[in-house]
Amino acid sequence: MDLNPPAGENYANPKTCLFHVIFKAAALAFYILSALFVNSFVIIFVVTVLLAALDFWVVKNVSGRILVGLRWWNEINDLGESVWKFESLDQESLARMNKKDSWLFWWTLYLAAAAWIVLAIFSLIRLQADYLLVIGVCLTLSIANIVGFTKCRKDAKQKIQQFASQTIASRVTSTIQSAFSVV
Amino acid sequence: MSHSDTVPLHPSSQSDIDEIENLIHASVQSAPATVLPARPPSPPRASIPVVSSSPFLQSNLPPPPPPSSNQKVPSVPEPPPPPSSSIAASGFGSAPNTLTEPVWDTVKRDLSRIVSNLKLVVFPNPYREDPGKALRDWDLWGPFFFIVFLGLALSWSASVKKSEVFAVAFALLAAGAVILTLNVLLLGGHIIFFQSLSLLGYCLFPLDVGALVCLLKDNVILKVIVVSVSLAWSSWAAYPFMSSAVNPRRKALALYPVFLMYVSVGFLIIAID
Repeated sequence: MDLNPPAGENYANPKTCLFHVIFKAAALAFYILSALFVNSFVIIFVVTVLLAALDFWVVKNVSGRILVGLRWWNEINDLGESVWKFESLDQESLARMNKKDSWLFWWTLYLAAAAWIVLAIFSLIRLQADYLLVIGVCLTLSIANIVGFTKCRKDAKQKIQQFASQTIASRVTSTIQSAFSVV
Repeated sequence: MSHSDTVPLHPSSQSDIDEIENLIHASVQSAPATVLPARPPSPPRASIPVVSSSPFLQSNLPPPPPPSSNQKVPSVPEPPPPPSSSIAASGFGSAPNTLTEPVWDTVKRDLSRIVSNLKLVVFPNPYREDPGKALRDWDLWGPFFFIVFLGLALSWSASVKKSEVFAVAFALLAAGAVILTLNVLLLGGHIIFFQSLSLLGYCLFPLDVGALVCLLKDNVILKVIVVSVSLAWSSWAAYPFMSSAVNPRRKALALYPVFLMYVSVGFLIIAID
């Protein structure tokens, strides 16, 4: 993963990219700046957590789908067990995904989580338990998204490999069959 | 796939939808629809049969994601429909439907899921006898809103130390839900962590209502009555799920802490002035 956006392409879904970034940035900015302007902890908590929750929802449901073609969720099957499900576009669509979009998606995801961790360290140093609560909630949401999408991406790669090997196997067998039928 | 900067979100996802649809139509030879057995407790939803022939597309059973989208499959397979622009409502079945649907549909689906979960948990309904099935489509958005609302209501009623009240209420409710779930698991009960968190969160709805009423009217006797009623209602809502999860001899051990937590929240509501 490189540090610079891939050149030579524009963002395919600029509005989605914007929304992907805007809630994360707003939550972080509000949290950092609020200490200067707002006296009430309740407002800081509610607004920051609300922005973080909105960001979680947007990343999970909208930008994950549109920017990288992945989706993850959990469901409970008939036996009462919890199953994690991953969904991805097929290979051609995945290959056609805009590189810049997916670069932005993954990098902002990681950067936001890293920023929350840094803020958590500051809170710990200052021994502010209530701010730690806010950061805890936001960090949980970011990490949940990162873990979910990473697993989903691995799952998608696995599926591509399986498909490729299946296709090769079926082609080989059909070639062999047609060779034998000719003979 | 790439569009100019002036293309708004919805049409760009529409064109994605169309492209992907064409791709799938071209690549899919036959389209047998795999179908889920219909689940009785689920409310009517957008029904989409799922194509299983492509190895990539998840040929699963449209499931309910945690705070995310959801679809249900009917028990009768629909004939393969013409490619249409309204994906979520059409019968064209393939996994990219949830990947390429318009954003508004996702929002509506999540909101309707919150409402249906609330109705299942808190209000009397015929599916309470089978608790494992009732909260099958758990989600954490409903509980999140209810906890924040309760914290806000308590904080509003408090004349001093509003911030501490809010933080304490939120932390108490969140940690309480986690600890209660762990309690059930440690008692050897069969419950899924997130499902139980979701349930305990939804059961806070009556206490939310009680707190709202107490916020509006500041009479102590009224508060006691309202809080007792909402407390009873919350406990009644949580009872079937919790008790069915554990061994019958340990039912009381699982239920008592739940009741205790609701009583302490009730005291918080009464005692705040």
